[in-house]
Amino acid sequence: MKLTDREENGVIVLEPTGKIMGGPDASLLHDKLYEFIEQDKKQFIVDLSAVDWMNSTGLGILISGYTTLRNNGGKLKLANVTEKIKTLLVITKLDPVFESYDSIAEAIKSFEQ
Amino acid sequence: MHEPIIKGNMITIPSSLEYLTNIDDFIEGILRGYEVDESIIADIAISVSELVNNSVSHGNKLDSSKTVSVSISQKNSDVEIVITDQGQGFDPQTISNPLDEVNLLKDTGRGIFIVNALMDTVDVKTTESGTTTTITKSIV
Repeated sequence: MKLTDREENGVIVLEPTGKIMGGPDASLLHDKLYEFIEQDKKQFIVDLSAVDWMNSTGLGILISGYTTLRNNGGKLKLANVTEKIKTLLVITKLDPVFESYDSIAEAIKSFEQ
Repeated sequence: MHEPIIKGNMITIPSSLEYLTNIDDFIEGILRGYEVDESIIADIAISVSELVNNSVSHGNKLDSSKTVSVSISQKNSDVEIVITDQGQGFDPQTISNPLDEVNLLKDTGRGIFIVNALMDTVDVKTTESGTTTTITKSIV
């Protein structure tokens, strides 16, 4: 897995690429997410368009980030969720938990409302 | 043992999560050789990653002197994958339901649930020498 990050209109956009399966690769996403949280960033989008698949480790990182931010007045939203990951979210009943958008632009706009 | 070893349709790794990608590359490569649909490959790869994660972390407790082996074979219209570790095993019946409201937002505890959802059969056998988990998935 590779990871890029950027800030757009005050929103942190994390863009993982590849597979999120655990081990050192998954730590990269977790650590970057918490690095920004520790900088008191509150608004996050994880763009999943380039993630081939993830397992429960990936879901755990998203949930951990979501709950940490929610408890601190922030939000983590998803963009471009692929069919494979959507299936996992449905199976685990996490699909109603995350706000999900079809593009990064729509997700960023949702923070303005 | 310090590096993954591949013999035929079996890969053996030391108990470290850094070798998850070796197992994934191995399994996905063989499945592509079987001309399996990419969506089914992903389901199998996700399941194998869950079980190897469990074997390395919970079974072998990250003891690098212990190993995890994964073998794969095609049996008629099914793929069968066997994951073997040297740990104490687990009772699938004792695992909490991750869909329960109290567990829904926990960041762990979904691995076996996902494997059961994605695979056609899941069989866990524990002996004194370790745990063997066998999963099958139709590939037609």
